[in-house]
Amino acid sequence: MQTLLQLFEPVQSWLFENLVLPLLFHTGYMSYAEDAFSATGDFVLALAEIGFIYLLLRPLETWAPAEKWEHRRGVRTDVIYTFLYKTGALPFIFFLLLTAPLGHLDYTLRELGYTPPNLEELVPWLGQYPLAALLAYIVIIDFAEYWRHRLQHRFDWWWALHAVHHSQRTMSFWTDDRNHILDGLFKSLWLAFIAQLIGASGSQFVGIVFVFTLVESLSHANLRFGFGTVGNRLLVGPTFHRIHHGIGVGHEGGQRGCNFATLFPIWDIIFGTANFTRVTPPTGIRDQLDGVDYGEGFIDQQWKGLVRMWRALTPTKSAAK
Amino acid sequence: MALRRLVFKLLLVAAILPSVTHAEIAIVLNSKDDDMSLIDTTTYKVIKRVPLGKEPHHLIPTPDDRYVVVGNAAGNDLVMLDPSSGDIVKRLPRIADPYHLGFSPDQKWFVITANRLDRVDIYRYDNGNFTLAGKVPLPKTTSHMAFSRDSKIAYVTAQDSNQVAAIELATQKIIWKTSTGKEPAGVWLTPDGQHLLVGMTGEDYIEIFSPMSGKSIKRLKTGKGAHQFLPQGDGRHAFLTNRVENTISIIDMQKLDVVESFRVPGGPDCMELRKDGTELWVTSRWINRVSVVDLSTKKITQSIHVGRSPHGLYFPTHAARQ
Ligand SMILES: [Zn+2]
Ligand SMILES: [Zn+2]
Repeated sequence: MQTLLQLFEPVQSWLFENLVLPLLFHTGYMSYAEDAFSATGDFVLALAEIGFIYLLLRPLETWAPAEKWEHRRGVRTDVIYTFLYKTGALPFIFFLLLTAPLGHLDYTLRELGYTPPNLEELVPWLGQYPLAALLAYIVIIDFAEYWRHRLQHRFDWWWALHAVHHSQRTMSFWTDDRNHILDGLFKSLWLAFIAQLIGASGSQFVGIVFVFTLVESLSHANLRFGFGTVGNRLLVGPTFHRIHHGIGVGHEGGQRGCNFATLFPIWDIIFGTANFTRVTPPTGIRDQLDGVDYGEGFIDQQWKGLVRMWRALTPTKSAAK
Repeated sequence: MALRRLVFKLLLVAAILPSVTHAEIAIVLNSKDDDMSLIDTTTYKVIKRVPLGKEPHHLIPTPDDRYVVVGNAAGNDLVMLDPSSGDIVKRLPRIADPYHLGFSPDQKWFVITANRLDRVDIYRYDNGNFTLAGKVPLPKTTSHMAFSRDSKIAYVTAQDSNQVAAIELATQKIIWKTSTGKEPAGVWLTPDGQHLLVGMTGEDYIEIFSPMSGKSIKRLKTGKGAHQFLPQGDGRHAFLTNRVENTISIIDMQKLDVVESFRVPGGPDCMELRKDGTELWVTSRWINRVSVVDLSTKKITQSIHVGRSPHGLYFPTHAARQ
């Protein structure tokens, strides 16, 4: 991991010193130099990761697709989502929106004598094993993500937003970032809250994001194979997550879906939401079959998502009848 | 013959051993990697990297030189290191946001600028024990500090509200507070106690104030991103890093003038100077390196790859802080 990151260091340094730093200096935002330096690194890493994922998964999708499509036109919007999220354009907006309120909260808590605990403080030996610490953080965040996902399906207003993600009927490795912006903001808040509880640092977050991105891209890929009987129970793969997106199983039933886990299927096994059947159902949302339109382009999908959420929150006349 | 050779070898080994075990180390804090790089100061090789805690930024030796204190800004703790080996001796938990650290010259006060919490925390220091005496709010983004010779006053910069303030340590009261140029950071009191030098990171100059009244005396152009000071040890000159210009200026503290400037790449930040004054070590934060400057030629002789965004830097046999 360290050596991998070092490959991109010169690019990060060059971009930062020649573009970002002069901009910060001339606009009077030198205090953000450190954050911006990290963000520049994340940006470079994200581009590299997108490239790597593309080179790895694009040929695989052609070679062993779960679904055969006539064309890949439906994938295009997801590419936009990927670049908006992964390169940090949207996370940057979230950062601007959340910095002031979260900073204030952090300040108030510390004034009250609460200093955010660290996992390494609770389990001291972890401090000596950065990889074990990283894994511990990943497991905890994955657990939290499992429950956030359960709630996304549980509440109608939240599902209204999450439906953007599920409305993709040509699901590919680009689909993992296809999420409503408001939903993305909630996710950032949720993760900031978790980070406040367990105290993951910036550098650990880079590693955490890297792992999640890799697994999530793979699990959305249009591939007909998974990791085998045992592997599918250890790590979320393409077949496991495809069932989550499947019409008839992925967002219906008593639990309002199955296979909610992002990284580790163990959460689905423990909480009784796992489905390991060997089916490849078509992906999408059931009412799309009846002609309900979730939007084609990015703006269209965002707008329709907001409208759906508004309707879910305000009882309409038809619902009152 | 064989025996004599063996004896000779043993003697040789015995002669080398002490120098090996006493090889000095430099401690470099990798603020974005949450660890430190320990560098052999004779070979310039990184011996190892050791995890420290979240966001270590600055470090300072205790007055008796027994420990080096590292502040983990996001980890909310202090780590005490053995200066000769770099080994972690102990941790002091529950210290809020220890960004910059300082001991008063009389060794009675320990001061922390809590950068994110916009305040200055003042501790009484007694033989390894820290007791909180008071917190002084000082909006916004408290950054660096300097002390008066008599240890009565701490001068602190507030980077995002463009201020510098003088705080009386015994009462924790603000004596004066004054406006500066954009983003004041490093602060240094000249040996005669007459001038307070402040690096303006958002500008290309240092601003000089009266330590008594806080009145601005003059602005001295140095380079973009004027940031941090380190005295040359002769009681007359000080180095100043210019983080955007990528230079270091040498300042005459009597004439209040720039003697010369030389280039150091990668956003030079903290510095450490060899006792004999031959070499200046600098953390080049944006290229993840420590740059070593030969002061006779002002050329970079070593560029040591360390962790990400290296910040604080220290080795035991350094020039006097004057
Ligand atoms: Zn879902
Ligand atoms: Zn999905």
